[in-house]
Amino acid sequence: MSAAALYPQVVLDHYRNPRNRGRLDGCTHAADGVNALCGDVLRVELDCTPDRRIAAIRFSGEACAITTATASMLSELVRGMDEAGVTSAAQRFERVIEGAGEDRDLGDLNAMAELQRHPARRKCARLPWAALRAALAGRSHTTTEQEPA
Amino acid sequence: MNAQAEFPIVPFDVERIRKDFPLLARTVHDKPLIYFDNANTSQKPAAVIEAVDHFYRETNANVARAVHQLGEEATAAYEGTRNKLARFIGAGSPNEIVLTSGTTQAINLVAYSYAMPRLKAGDEILVTTMEHHANIVPWQLVCAHTGAKLKVAPITERGELIVDAFVEALTPSVKLAAVTHVSNVLGTINPIAELARATRKRGIPLLVDGSQAAPHLPLDMRALGCDFYTITGHKLYGPTGTGALWTRKELLADMPPFFGGGEMIREVRFEGTTFAEPPHRFEAGTPNIAGFVGLGAALDYVESIGRECIAAYEGELRDYATAALKTVPGLRIFGEAREKTAVISFLIEGAHAHDLATLLDHEGVAVRSGHHCAHPLMRFYGVPATARISLAFYNTREEVDRCVAAIGKVRQLLA
Repeated sequence: MSAAALYPQVVLDHYRNPRNRGRLDGCTHAADGVNALCGDVLRVELDCTPDRRIAAIRFSGEACAITTATASMLSELVRGMDEAGVTSAAQRFERVIEGAGEDRDLGDLNAMAELQRHPARRKCARLPWAALRAALAGRSHTTTEQEPA
Repeated sequence: MNAQAEFPIVPFDVERIRKDFPLLARTVHDKPLIYFDNANTSQKPAAVIEAVDHFYRETNANVARAVHQLGEEATAAYEGTRNKLARFIGAGSPNEIVLTSGTTQAINLVAYSYAMPRLKAGDEILVTTMEHHANIVPWQLVCAHTGAKLKVAPITERGELIVDAFVEALTPSVKLAAVTHVSNVLGTINPIAELARATRKRGIPLLVDGSQAAPHLPLDMRALGCDFYTITGHKLYGPTGTGALWTRKELLADMPPFFGGGEMIREVRFEGTTFAEPPHRFEAGTPNIAGFVGLGAALDYVESIGRECIAAYEGELRDYATAALKTVPGLRIFGEAREKTAVISFLIEGAHAHDLATLLDHEGVAVRSGHHCAHPLMRFYGVPATARISLAFYNTREEVDRCVAAIGKVRQLLA
């Protein structure tokens, strides 16, 4: 169907078979993020190394295809990153969904570039990033309204 | 699928009516538009667009001040809509109608002018689980200011108000009840006359949010028996920024002004001001004059079709759409009240409401997705969001068929 632009195979694949979905018992960091648009809640749990790098990440919650696929793609990208690395990746992702063009370092996440034509749905892709950054910053709760780009 | 045989068509020339709405002719993503988001806002007939255009080209002036010809004409047109609204809802007099920017302002007017000065700690305001935020948040502000408490009357899984529980909740501490006439999410039509009998017996004023009812049901304030009723113009085929509050003359006379400014005064001195009589006491500043001229044209248009006729046609379209949607595997409908308007909220297993709405949009079908400004109701059903189809008298069975086919395609893609 013509709407496939926002839902290409790679997005549908991450939606149907999300990577790193689940919980982390005894995680070092965790945060719930709320999408102000629809009320979806996405939880991100992390295990960080003593030098504050992400060793493991899991996300949970019922959310739309855009949120779920973004969370899945992001979970593959951020392993080994520290807070500065995540902040930088989040900013680069923001540029991609605003239409700045492909960013090779972001891998599958480039599939979300179509969001440049769906501004109302960008919050859905921002939610996993917001929850991840809140968790790293030691905050247990955030919304898509709160998080800096 | 085809359910045509099962649901006979009411004689109603929908193709002729569609020609009255210029926007319905457009395409979206190269597909003919199917506009199923009427509970959000309705499209406007040419008569309304032309009335607003004509006002600015020929009549534009401020109201209730200027003595020149244009001012007289503008005032007559503005007040003309008040008169039409009074007839439209069966009010006792046009002086019972305060023109507002919509239902939100109308409810806030009652909250600030009626409830705020009267309520005190220990008092209660009764609402229901199915209220729109506009009929919750203003009362919470009143509670925060006065120490009163909000009380909630429950609904059934089908989405019907439990009338016995509502009546039981009308204890002496309840000083105001606020109920929607029609739920914006479920389409449920609440038995207002029955509720009003119970509130009157106990001397409790009843406010009815008529935002979703006025576009679809014949209205008669005398028969309903409530004390406050609110109207939203833009859902009633009129311009945005128009609406009204109806209330009994004696209640209005006893309410202090909400906003202060021009047009609502009798005499202003620095020592003190005397206020105009209602309804103008509540209409400070220059109103949305062109908008109300457009709303007057909208009321004429709706009357020309006839509200009984509209309700009958929309009722049949609702039954047709409900039956068609039920053929989609994994589709769950929220709200199956015996009395309901053509509003159908639903979800499909494995598909989120926003994905549904985005993909349907690419098929040319405009539906609403989200919490519909009704968080407590979403919580009641245990879902963050639903997709919602809301039909108007210009929608057709062919559109329903195309929408259901598109939903089938979307389901295959997502589930």
